[in-house]
Amino acid sequence: MKLIKKIDLLIERLSSHGLVLVVLTMLALSCLSIVLRWFNTNFTWIDPLVRHLVFISAFFGGVLATGRGTHIGIDLLGKILESRKMFKAQLFIRRLIALTSTLTLLWLIKAGIDFTRVELEYGKAVFWSIKSGYLVMIIPLGLSLIALRFFIILLLSFEEQTA
Amino acid sequence: MIALLLGLGIMLLAIIGVPLFIIMSLAALVAFSFSGVEISSVAVEFYRISSAPTLMTIPLFTFAGYLMAESNSPKRLLRLAETGLGWMPGGVSIVALVVCAFFTAFTGASGVTIIALGGLIYPILMDEGYSEKFTLGAITASGSLGLLFPPSLPIILYGLVAKVDIDKLFKAGIVPGIVIMVILSLWSIYNGQKKKNLRKFILKDFLAALKEAYLEALLPIIILVGIYGGFLTVTEAAAITALYIFVIEVLIYKDLNLKNDVPKVIIDSMSLVGGILLILCCALGFTNFLVDEEIPMKIFALMKLYLTDKYSFLLFLNIFLLIVGCLMDIFSAIIVVVPLIIPIATDFGIDPVHLAIIFLANLEIGYLTPPVGINLFIASFRFNRPITELYKASVPFLLLLILSLVIITYVPALSLFWFK
Repeated sequence: MKLIKKIDLLIERLSSHGLVLVVLTMLALSCLSIVLRWFNTNFTWIDPLVRHLVFISAFFGGVLATGRGTHIGIDLLGKILESRKMFKAQLFIRRLIALTSTLTLLWLIKAGIDFTRVELEYGKAVFWSIKSGYLVMIIPLGLSLIALRFFIILLLSFEEQTA
Repeated sequence: MIALLLGLGIMLLAIIGVPLFIIMSLAALVAFSFSGVEISSVAVEFYRISSAPTLMTIPLFTFAGYLMAESNSPKRLLRLAETGLGWMPGGVSIVALVVCAFFTAFTGASGVTIIALGGLIYPILMDEGYSEKFTLGAITASGSLGLLFPPSLPIILYGLVAKVDIDKLFKAGIVPGIVIMVILSLWSIYNGQKKKNLRKFILKDFLAALKEAYLEALLPIIILVGIYGGFLTVTEAAAITALYIFVIEVLIYKDLNLKNDVPKVIIDSMSLVGGILLILCCALGFTNFLVDEEIPMKIFALMKLYLTDKYSFLLFLNIFLLIVGCLMDIFSAIIVVVPLIIPIATDFGIDPVHLAIIFLANLEIGYLTPPVGINLFIASFRFNRPITELYKASVPFLLLLILSLVIITYVPALSLFWFK
């Protein structure tokens, strides 16, 4: 379990540092774009780059929300079980959530890989001569990080029971 | 039959608490597989979000709002409003409403307002002699006030999902937002009259508070003049706001440390934004599928049997959205419900901008609606009070908000007079 926890910590750090870098870059580039406009100049790559940075931040943010358990959801049953202190049932539900999420994400990653393949073959350059196929890779890579985190939560939940 | 069972299964997973972005992805994957469409289409829809030009406003405005909430800005703004309005009967309570609305407009009713400001406002209102019931009710209601004011995150998200001009939505929300504030302020004045000792207006104190807080107090003016003066686009306003707040809180007031506090604020705000954007990515695939299958049109045909005119539809919409508002959080409700409602409302002759304001006002109230309105839980957690106490405290505010909703819904001119 130690190794799993280390991997989890690594993902957490990667996402946190990545987010700080992405947000500050996004802010700097957006402001640069405004200043350039005042001088009637424009770098056409800023806009698509910033939009892709936002796209990346969605996945990093999603990884952190997974770790914190703060994803938006309805969770009616969870609230009821908590108020009735039905801890075993709560643990079972948590496992079911983690398992369902991992499996759905695996299916989604497959969809992302299929899309990436198509874009690598037919896609055009978006900015800095980077083809859309490479940018689309954000989807399977980002989803993989989130899926891994859900899987780790599932594994760690068994330690919770033995502890 | 299998499709029905799968649909029920997915709904069950949603009820047990599977994250909504997973539910939406699963629904999209199942729906696309069943209709024989390649599942890579789900990823195509996912990627489509990265081409939305106003997308970057969401992280930038949220980052700015969280920066303010973490700094001493709430204290400074409360002091300014207290010295400026505290002399009125109910003035201090109005101050609380105004400052909360200001913060919610920037943090998007994510509960941050109650967490960041609740602890500051509670002792002030209690010291002023308001009952605990009124105080708790006011703070709980304040948590979602300001949703209709620019640059509220739900307005931006609505504009993105419904493909309605965000500039227009910002404008349209101002007067209905003021209507809500005025009605709640009148209630505060009524409760404030019971107090015997009213504070005096002291110009010196007000000017001192203004000197402290003017940089933050100027922000809404900068945004509104920037956008409507034609100097900035909404996206640019988001960037300027984030930079402005960053500079004043980190470099001028030095409330936040660049090394320790700023990364924490980025991580906190982006974990919320990440959650919202993921739902947005996943839900668009599924809702586009429903629209392609003409599901809204089928619902519309069914509704036409029972709802004969625009007003009966609006009444139905109000009730439906109040239920949605207390069951779902505002971001998911916008992403999931809006694409389905727009075609129906358009067929009933409702202006898309007015629809947006009705939608958001309803969800604002949903936050406060028992038994599961999220503000009730946040306030219960924040003040360590049983949830039932919060139910009782929020009832008068809930009724007043419903009155505001009726006015906003049935007087469209309040939202649309800018565009005539």
